[in-house]
Amino acid sequence: MMNAPFLTRLWQKFTRSRVGRSIFRVGLPQSNLERSQAMTSSFLLHIQPAKVHKHSLKAGYSLGLGLISLYLFIILIGTGVLLMFYYVPSTASAYNTMKDLQFVVSAGLLVRNMHRWAAHLMVLFVLLHLCRVFYTGAYKRPREFNWVIGVGLFLLTLGLSFTGYLLPWDQLAFWAITVGTNIAGYAPVIGAKVKYVLLGGNIVGQEALTRFYALHVIVLPTLALLMVGVHLWRVRKDGGLSRPDEAGEVVEQIPPGQLPVNKSYGLMELARGTSPQVGKNPEDEVFSWPHLVFREILLFLLVTAVVLFLAIFWNAPLEEFANPIHPPNPAKAPWYFLGLQELVSYSAFWGGVVIPGLLVTALLLLPYLDRKRAGVGRWFARERVVANSIFTLCLLAAIVFTVIGTLFRGPNWDWVEPWRQPPAITEGH
Amino acid sequence: MNPSAPQGQNNVSRRGFLQLTFGWLAGIFAIALSAAGAVRFLVPNVLFEASQVFKAGKPDDFPDGSVTFLEEERVFLVRQGNTYRCLSAICTHLGCTVNRAEKGYHCPCHGSIFDDQGSVKSGPAPHALAWFQVTLSKDSRLLVDKNRKVAADKYLVLPTKA
Amino acid sequence: MNNGSMLRFYGWFTFLGLLVGGLVVLGYYKDEYREWKDYQRKFVQEEIQRAATPQQKAIAESTPVEVRQILLPELNRVDRCTTCHLAVEDPSYGGYEQPLAYHPQHEQHPFEKFGCTICHRGQGRATTTADAHGAVAHWDQPMLPLQYIQASCGQCHEAADNPAAPELAQGQQLFETSGCRGCHKLGGAGGNLGPELDKVGTRRSPEWLKKHFLAPAAVTAGSAMPPQKFSETNLEAIVLFMLSQTGQTAPGYYASMKVIPSADEGQRLFQQKGCIGCHTVAGQGGKVGPVLDDVGLRRSPEWMLQHFRDPQSVTPGSVMPKFGFTETEARALTEFLLHLRERNLASTFPSLMSPVERGREIYRKYGCAGCHGAEAKGSVPNPNAKTAEQVPGLIRVAEGYTKAELKSRIVKGQREIPALDPKRPPPPLYMPAWGAVIKDAEVDDLVAYLISLKPKGEDLGF
Repeated sequence: MMNAPFLTRLWQKFTRSRVGRSIFRVGLPQSNLERSQAMTSSFLLHIQPAKVHKHSLKAGYSLGLGLISLYLFIILIGTGVLLMFYYVPSTASAYNTMKDLQFVVSAGLLVRNMHRWAAHLMVLFVLLHLCRVFYTGAYKRPREFNWVIGVGLFLLTLGLSFTGYLLPWDQLAFWAITVGTNIAGYAPVIGAKVKYVLLGGNIVGQEALTRFYALHVIVLPTLALLMVGVHLWRVRKDGGLSRPDEAGEVVEQIPPGQLPVNKSYGLMELARGTSPQVGKNPEDEVFSWPHLVFREILLFLLVTAVVLFLAIFWNAPLEEFANPIHPPNPAKAPWYFLGLQELVSYSAFWGGVVIPGLLVTALLLLPYLDRKRAGVGRWFARERVVANSIFTLCLLAAIVFTVIGTLFRGPNWDWVEPWRQPPAITEGH
Repeated sequence: MNPSAPQGQNNVSRRGFLQLTFGWLAGIFAIALSAAGAVRFLVPNVLFEASQVFKAGKPDDFPDGSVTFLEEERVFLVRQGNTYRCLSAICTHLGCTVNRAEKGYHCPCHGSIFDDQGSVKSGPAPHALAWFQVTLSKDSRLLVDKNRKVAADKYLVLPTKA
Repeated sequence: MNNGSMLRFYGWFTFLGLLVGGLVVLGYYKDEYREWKDYQRKFVQEEIQRAATPQQKAIAESTPVEVRQILLPELNRVDRCTTCHLAVEDPSYGGYEQPLAYHPQHEQHPFEKFGCTICHRGQGRATTTADAHGAVAHWDQPMLPLQYIQASCGQCHEAADNPAAPELAQGQQLFETSGCRGCHKLGGAGGNLGPELDKVGTRRSPEWLKKHFLAPAAVTAGSAMPPQKFSETNLEAIVLFMLSQTGQTAPGYYASMKVIPSADEGQRLFQQKGCIGCHTVAGQGGKVGPVLDDVGLRRSPEWMLQHFRDPQSVTPGSVMPKFGFTETEARALTEFLLHLRERNLASTFPSLMSPVERGREIYRKYGCAGCHGAEAKGSVPNPNAKTAEQVPGLIRVAEGYTKAELKSRIVKGQREIPALDPKRPPPPLYMPAWGAVIKDAEVDDLVAYLISLKPKGEDLGF
């Protein structure tokens, strides 16, 4: 141990001390047994398996997108809780508290910026994660329900972003939510009622702000955390991340009530069903500690660095105080709903209700409709060219509509070319 | 492979050792600074309460020999000739507002009696009423600072006007 | 697992750890460095230099470096200007360079009660120069250039009463005489050809307003407003008056302060409160209380003030109710009564005026001059109108119309104005139906006034 880094030795001394042993039941792992125990004995880490397949560690496979989404969520919770100490969800005060955060709270601007950019990034990365899972066929059996939970998480992410968007109570917030809730109101039968309950009335006012605040800080985050827990649990129980040749693996079914004779790591590596098995394909599995955990730490540092960088150099927007009698022209929904707003501009019913409804339903039913088992664990597998093409088409359409809604729509939702300077607007409103 | 043999990770080169140490130090530093930053974030820089420092008025607003009760700030402004003092009107027993009596001050809640210097003459009050610092502001008003307690014999003396 | 891969780990770990650490330090540094701290340190240095006694030096050295703010809960404002403008109350800083200069004339409006932005506008909650002075994106109340500061007085005080705002009073006067009310509503009264002006001071900048008065169609496409011919001083005055229309109300404490005790205000109050119901002035009024024409000779101002505060305390058995006047209202009424003899009471008591005089008032009140010109002399352009492309003047209406025809025209208006050239767009200005707004008796007086406009003894040419 003499060559071990100084800090490592220091830490080991502490964890072997009396106080240290009362807190840390397993110190820094020295043996394979301890490496397994690092996972199974830890409160924070035990949702992870003791060993993972080497393929799951490939950065180029999963791109760490799910983890990035989780880290962004954690950053959002941390910064969000801090912001709660200053923000007041009242139409008279909310805007003022945003100004106070910017000017008189130490690191107020930084924390708010981190919160805003992490929010936008999270919507983006949850979407990217969804695309990755699709393109690698990782929604197929036995992971169908995990996909459904994932779609639910995607919708929750959109909901969290949308409810948070209103809170600054500036022109940007007020009108984006006005447009967004109007689109929601187009749904047949339930639309108007849902809008009424969401807004706590007919207008975007104090009641709407209170409800959106409650949804944003407790209801949706709690639901999201619970579902993330189930989501990660299912990843573990469904056999880890998907990989090629998974179907070909030999899975020894342990008869219930019996344990195999050659066990050496206790129960931690054995389970009925699809989990890495001891003694089968040993070269392809490595211990989570340190291989998985270290990569996770590195990725967390990277995500934190990116969010910090964005927050230091770009400020989150804050426009004028919300003015219900003075809509901006055009009034635009948040960027992730702009594709929807563009569709709605063609037809409220088909664009705002039918198409999005069909898309979400298709997403939810996908794993139950696509029962072919070929092509799991590889990007753009040839066998799945039809499914991949359909998905890519829909994705491209969504991107195109969103880009149109963002850049090519001006006052009165007229077509504009963003590279042309808009005519000088005479001052005043 | 003997599962209990130490794996290679603890036998690192000097380069790895330095890198790891710096990495950990930088990480710990970042965490510590972030935690300190989060705590500093929570410490308010401005208050939205009535200020502890306030202007009582112009010196001539207070007649000679007067004891004036300022209701909002809960203090007495005492003037004697050209000396100005400010006494807290909050009883040191349980916080009721004391009343000015013929001589001294009486608390209506539990009967504490204070003399003109604010010391306790009788009653349950544990110690004397506080005297606050009085200075002259830049625009010639009496400036009371309730953050600064002064001894009973410290007061603001203004030069006599010709 | 081999050393190589772990080394790679450690390498990345170090790099990212340093990166995150560095970014946190950068973020911390950016947050700690604030513009106002520099100004405060300069101020403390200045104070230490000026300290005459060790005691003063100690006080100066112990000045904390912190954000300072003035809380104005009734106005829903927080002004942090004094974070940089640290010497506003200290006369010895007169003439210093900003932000350490002294602010003169603040006695009537103490900073603790009024703050700064209620008069100077800008963004009170900001703590950087650019944001606080407000000429930034997404803040629509930039600081008012000092030459227009009188506009802020008009938010609370009657322009005509305020000796400190003569240009504002001039602006209000111009507004009434130029007939702007003919097309624009202000304070609920006026026409609706143009937009309401109640909050125009918050929506338009001084530069825009100037351009608009001189050439409305150039700044507002399709505007039918005729270009106004104002001299430079008059233009500034009326722009001031427009800037003062901010819709700012004076709540609670401020309402009790806003009356400047002038005789004009007293006359207004006298009329509002209905004193004429019990007292007689100039032969008009009730007989319950004494005649007031000479009260200034009989009673001292102190007596009158106390009488307004509490009538029974000076006149036991008096049936005059306690009106609950504020101090400034009582002083205004006292001023009025003291100078009753010298005042023109006609506008207070319409029955004292002749129909023609009343008609002149009505012509002014409803803004007829906006289209028909000051004193009905015309020359307001109305492009493509058959009447020489102008709104007709009314000096000679007595010749073309009977009283009944005039009355009918005023009440019913004339929506379709004959065009000179049918190929051009129709004339933008038309005669509204004033019957909905001007009362019947008032129309009679107006007609009397218009008929009186015929130049007497003029050779009509035939």
